[in-house]
Amino acid sequence: MILEFKQSPACTIGVELELQLLKSHDCNLARDAADLLARMKKVQHPGEVKPEITESMIELNSSIHRRYTDLADELRTIRNLVVHEAELLNLRVAGGGSHPFHQWSERRIYPTERFKHLVHLYGYLAKQFTVFGQHIHIGCESGDDAIYVIHMLSRHVPHFIALSASSPFYQGEDTGFASSRLNAISAFPLTGTMPFIQSWDEFNAYFERMHRFKIVESMKDFYWDIRPKPEYGTVEIRVCDTPLTVDKAALLAAFAQALAHYYLNERSQNPTPALYLVYNYNRFQACRFGFGAEFINPYDESHCALRDDLIATLKRIMPHARALDSATALSHLIDDAVAGRDDSSWLREQLKKSGSLNDVARLQSNLWMGKTERV
Amino acid sequence: MAELNFLPTLPPAFTPPMLFGALLLLGLLGGEAARLFALPRITGYLLVGMLFGPRGLDLLGGEVTKQSRVFVDISLGLILFELGRRLDYQWLRRNRWLLATAIAESAFAFLALYFGLRYFDYPRLLAALAAAIGIATSPAVVLLVAHELRSDGQLTERMLLLTAINSVFAFFSVTMLLPFLHFQHRAGWTETLLQPLYVMVGSLLTGLVVSLLVLRFAAWLGKREDRQFIMLVGMIVLTAGLARSLNLSVLVALLTVGILARNLDFGHKLMEVQFGHGGQLFFVILFVMAGVSLRFDLLPQASYVAGMYIVLRFLGKALAILVFGRLSGLRPGAAGLLGIALLPMSGLAVVMVHDISGLYPEFGARLSAVVLSAVALLELIGPLATQFALKQAGEAGERR
Repeated sequence: MILEFKQSPACTIGVELELQLLKSHDCNLARDAADLLARMKKVQHPGEVKPEITESMIELNSSIHRRYTDLADELRTIRNLVVHEAELLNLRVAGGGSHPFHQWSERRIYPTERFKHLVHLYGYLAKQFTVFGQHIHIGCESGDDAIYVIHMLSRHVPHFIALSASSPFYQGEDTGFASSRLNAISAFPLTGTMPFIQSWDEFNAYFERMHRFKIVESMKDFYWDIRPKPEYGTVEIRVCDTPLTVDKAALLAAFAQALAHYYLNERSQNPTPALYLVYNYNRFQACRFGFGAEFINPYDESHCALRDDLIATLKRIMPHARALDSATALSHLIDDAVAGRDDSSWLREQLKKSGSLNDVARLQSNLWMGKTERV
Repeated sequence: MAELNFLPTLPPAFTPPMLFGALLLLGLLGGEAARLFALPRITGYLLVGMLFGPRGLDLLGGEVTKQSRVFVDISLGLILFELGRRLDYQWLRRNRWLLATAIAESAFAFLALYFGLRYFDYPRLLAALAAAIGIATSPAVVLLVAHELRSDGQLTERMLLLTAINSVFAFFSVTMLLPFLHFQHRAGWTETLLQPLYVMVGSLLTGLVVSLLVLRFAAWLGKREDRQFIMLVGMIVLTAGLARSLNLSVLVALLTVGILARNLDFGHKLMEVQFGHGGQLFFVILFVMAGVSLRFDLLPQASYVAGMYIVLRFLGKALAILVFGRLSGLRPGAAGLLGIALLPMSGLAVVMVHDISGLYPEFGARLSAVVLSAVALLELIGPLATQFALKQAGEAGERR
C-alpha cells in the first residue's frame, strides 16, 4: 500500500476545531451532538460540521484559505450559524482544551462504526479522549516538502502549546498545567512524533512496514503531534488546545503558515536528530508552564525562556508574514507573549472571580459564542 | 407492679421517627424489588404503599398519612423547586416554536378532555375542571424517573420544561374555573372572586419574595455548595410550610421560587445544587405515601371513564407535540415519545381534586370519580411510560 501525496498549493491553511457542547442550566457537557448536527445539515454553511468521539463534542472544519483574515471571517460565519442552531436546542458551545469539571465516565460514545471500534480498542481511554484540540493544516507541494516541514515545525511545538494552552482544569481540579489536554493524549500507543526520515519515499517504506505489522491501517491511526495528511496534501499540527475564541484559532493558523513559508523558502536549517532529543522535555515544559516554560534550542544547545524564543521566532519570520498578509496576526501574538496573556490564565482568573467551575464553563462559552469580548 | 413502670406499654407507640424509618425501609425494599423486573424504583415505592395502605394490609392508615405530611411536603417542595429551575425563559424567548409547543400542549390536552367529557354528557363545569386538572403532568414522576435513569438530552430537557409549564397552566385553569364553581353553589360575590384571587396572587407573591431572599442569601454565602444546599433546603421547606398555613398553593409558590431563582439570577449567584442522597430519602416517602392514598378501589367501576380520560389526554398532548415539535427543533420520531413521557399524573392532580372537595364535597365526589380513577391508573403506568420513552429515545445513561 503506497500513499500518494496529493499536491496542494504551498502554505494554504485550514483548521479543524473540536468544540464542547454544554447544557445551559449547569454548563456541564451535554449529549446532544447528533441533534445539533442534524440541524446543521439543513443549514447552508461554509466548511463542515462533524461528529467527534463522544456525544458532547462537535468538530468544525474550515475550507482552504490563503489569507488568515479570510479564514477568520469564515470561522466567525460558521460559529454564528452553529450558535444559532445550538441556542434553539438550549445548548451552549465553548472552546478550550478541556471541560473544567465533567466526569469522563459519564460520557457516551457517538454511535458510528469507527468510534465504536475505537472504544473496543482503547477502552476507557476513548471516553477520556473528550478533550478539545485545534488541528492546523498547511498545504505542501510535495511529500518531501511535507516531511521537511514536519521536522522543522517540531522545534516549534512548544510555541504552539504555549500560545493555545486553555486546559488548566480537568475533572473538576486545577491541574497546575497550562495545557492538561496533551496528558490525556499521551496515553495512546501511536502518539509522539514521526520517525526521523527524510523523504516521502522513506515515509512510504516506513508506513508500509507498519501496515504489514498490522499496527496501522491508515494514516488516521497515527496520533502524532504533527503528521502528514497525504490525501489532503497537507501537514497537520495537532498539539494546540482549541482556543477560547475563533479569532485566536485563526491567529494560530497564521503563525503556522508563516513558519512553513519561512522554512520552505529560506531552507536555512536542516533537520537534525537533536530536534527529538530535546522534544519531550520542551513539550512537557510548555504544557506545564505555558509562556513561563524553559526552552532548549536543539541547534545551539542553549537554554532560554520559551517566551523569549517565541518572540524571537515571531520577529524572525515577520517578513514572511508580510508576504502572506498576516503581519498583524503575528504582532498580536507577540503582544500576547510579552504580556503573558494566555487562555489558561484567563480561565484561572475567571475561577478566582466567580468562585465556581460552572461559572468558568459558562464564561468560556460566552466568549466562544461571541456574547462577550475578552478583556 | 408499680416498680416496673419504667417498662413501656405494649405495643410501643408508633412515633414519627419510627414511621419515617419504617417507610424508608419498606420503600427501599419495594424499589429494589421493582428493579428486578426492570421497573422504575418509584413504582416499587408506590406498590409498597398500596400493599401496606388502608386498601391493602391496612398497616399504614389515616394517622400515618397525617404524620407523614411534613415529609411529603418537603419532598414536593424540593421537586417543584428543581423543576421550576428547568423553566428557562431565555430558551422560550429564543425558540418561539417551543413556546408554541408548550402552550399548545396544555391547550390541546384541555380541549381534548373537555370535548371528550362533554360528548359523554358530563356537565360543563365538571368537564372543564376535570380537563383543567388533566393538563398537568406529574412533576415528581418525570423528574425522579429522569434522575434515576440519569437521562440527558433534548427529549429529557423538553419533558421537564413542558411539565413545569403545564403544571402552571393546570393550576391557573383550575383557579380561573373556581369562580364558576362558587357561583354555581350560590356563594357570595366576595368569596366567588376573592378566594381564587387570594390563592393566585398570594402564592405568586410568596414565590417572588422567597426567590429574592434565596438570591440574596446565596450572594452572601458565596459559591459554597454545602452551605447553599442547606440554605435552599431550609428556604424550600419553610416556603412549603408557610404556603400551607396561609392556605396558599404549595405548588405555585415553590414552582415560582424555582422559576424566578433561575431567571432573576442575573449575577449567577445561586449554584446548581444536587439534592442527591438527602433528597432521595424524602422522595421514597413521597411515593410510598402516594401508594397509600392510591384509590385503586375506584378502578373497576370507573375503568371506562378512566381509560377514555387517559387516551384523550394523551391524544391532545401528542397532537400538539406532533404539530409544533419539529418546528421547535425536536428530532424526527421523538414527538410521539415525548407525548408518552408526559403521561404521568399523580399527587398534583390529587391535591387539586382534594382542594375542590374541601370546598364542595358533593361536587368533589363526582370529580373524584372521573379524575382519581384515571390518576390511579396513571400512577401505575405513568412511570413506566416515562421510563420507556426516555430509554427508547436513547437518552438514559449507561447502566452502572
